[in-house]
Amino acid sequence: MNEFELLRNITIGQYLPVDSYLHRLDPRAKILAAILVIAAVTFTPSLAGNACLLAGGLALVWLGRIPLAYALRGLLPAVPILVFLAVMQLVFFGRNYDPTSPVVFQWRWIVVTGAVLKLVVVSAARFLELLLVTSVFTLSTKTTDLTLGIESLLRPFQRLRVPAHELALVVTIAVRFVPTLALEAERLMKAQASRGARLGGSRWRFISRVRRSLPILVPLVTYALRRGEELIVAMEARAYTGGAGRTAYTVLASRPGDWLAVGAAAVFLAAMLLAPFPA
Amino acid sequence: MTASRAAASAAGARAEIGRADGALIHVEDLWHTYMAGTPFAEAALRGVTMHVYPGEVVGVIGHTGSGKSTLIQYLNGLLRPARGRVVVAGHEVGRSNAGIEAVRRLVGVAFQDPEDQVFEPLVGDDVAYGPRQLGLAAEELRARVRWAMEAVGLPFDAFKDRYTYTLSGGELRKTALAGVLAMRPQVLVLDEPTSGLDPATRLDVRERLLALRRRDGLTLVLVSHDMDEIAGLADRVYVLHAGAVVASGPPREVFARPDALAPYGLLPPFPTQVCVRLRARGIPVRGDALTIEEAGAAIAAALREAR
Repeated sequence: MNEFELLRNITIGQYLPVDSYLHRLDPRAKILAAILVIAAVTFTPSLAGNACLLAGGLALVWLGRIPLAYALRGLLPAVPILVFLAVMQLVFFGRNYDPTSPVVFQWRWIVVTGAVLKLVVVSAARFLELLLVTSVFTLSTKTTDLTLGIESLLRPFQRLRVPAHELALVVTIAVRFVPTLALEAERLMKAQASRGARLGGSRWRFISRVRRSLPILVPLVTYALRRGEELIVAMEARAYTGGAGRTAYTVLASRPGDWLAVGAAAVFLAAMLLAPFPA
Repeated sequence: MTASRAAASAAGARAEIGRADGALIHVEDLWHTYMAGTPFAEAALRGVTMHVYPGEVVGVIGHTGSGKSTLIQYLNGLLRPARGRVVVAGHEVGRSNAGIEAVRRLVGVAFQDPEDQVFEPLVGDDVAYGPRQLGLAAEELRARVRWAMEAVGLPFDAFKDRYTYTLSGGELRKTALAGVLAMRPQVLVLDEPTSGLDPATRLDVRERLLALRRRDGLTLVLVSHDMDEIAGLADRVYVLHAGAVVASGPPREVFARPDALAPYGLLPPFPTQVCVRLRARGIPVRGDALTIEEAGAAIAAALREAR
């Protein structure tokens, strides 16, 4: 009913302060584990494998003590795109994708083969799995921990001139700005609607949709630039000069239990890669 | 203390029921929860009842986080009531088939820091943005933009072709207000309309708001935590605290007992405070002065008395 509440549906970039195993996990271990799980999602093409992954994702949600409905809410804004993609795949792939696959459905020139059907299910499942993993990750990780973790993981590469600290900072700021910009967009939509703007409109009239979004986009970009500049000034005012010689308020200390998570994720990935799932 | 507060709100409620008939905007037992259905859910409004009558200036005051800004989003249907009722000029806002476009034309809202919504390069174009959506003829559009700009004190011919980024803060604020006014709403809702402006512009904006009400019969809803502003402008005020109306009535009544507002983190207008403290020191001045002029008159009267 509330057409303007954007933030309600954004679960990526939010932190949910509860106490769980995942929340206490060392961020470095969590990042590595997350990468391994995401690799598992990427390299598993089979239906049975994706069922396992989906179960794994749900287990992560449970492990992070995150309400499932909330974790899934991030899916809502993506539903139109997912449906659109699925329809495109169903209608246009036809026999081009794996011509040996048996035809399940045929109507005039629209041909749906078993392979395409499988592809549709698998891509939707993959999206869901990725969303679950990333949501659980950000919901259970404070942005400061995220920065520290990324920085600490990249530090060995500093000798190869990888700017570890700067990269970590960029990621943190990007993640931190997602809810901020969503809130600002919400505020602007409301403000423009309050003076006669008609937002939205037919999804299919792309050009008029873009034109109608200008009153939101123009101020939003200005706002983002202004916020960026304010951030720079604020950081410089506090004598920020980059990573060199900077000490940290929290020093990461991992317990052996933390690396168990990485081990478990690695085993999971290996199992996914090696398991003889029926193709 | 508690008893007097309860009595005050009971009297307020009686007054509400007695007069609710001719109201332009009815808000009845309105509840709102932010981020409903998420772990961040937070109640912002808890059973708010308020009415806005044609031609009056209603003040909504309250501490930061009291629900003021949430409440005004219901007045033009940006939020739709899930619990409670909002009726704007006969449109039941909670119904999915309510004429939301009509409601938004009837009630114009300028949020806090409205200058952020200015997006066109030229002042005139930005003010014209809203009415242009109505498909008006060029003549009518121009007349509306001229009227709205003049009403906020931006001479049409001098400002219509100015670049918005060359404007001062006060001029930009006025441009944004003109953009809302150009829709020709019957009710204008303003959230902190003068915050962050210099004192001269602040006075100017207040004067122009009162002039709009006098001349065009515009109904105003002012949200503010500047008590002096509300005291000088409003016919009736609602005091919000933690999402509930804790006091309502004419400002003179609401501000008359300063200790009644203290628990809500609010102080009466400065002139009222001066008079109340003078009385506490045994100087017989009227305690219900709201503006500097009234306080001055009260003190002058007390001095004459003393002679």
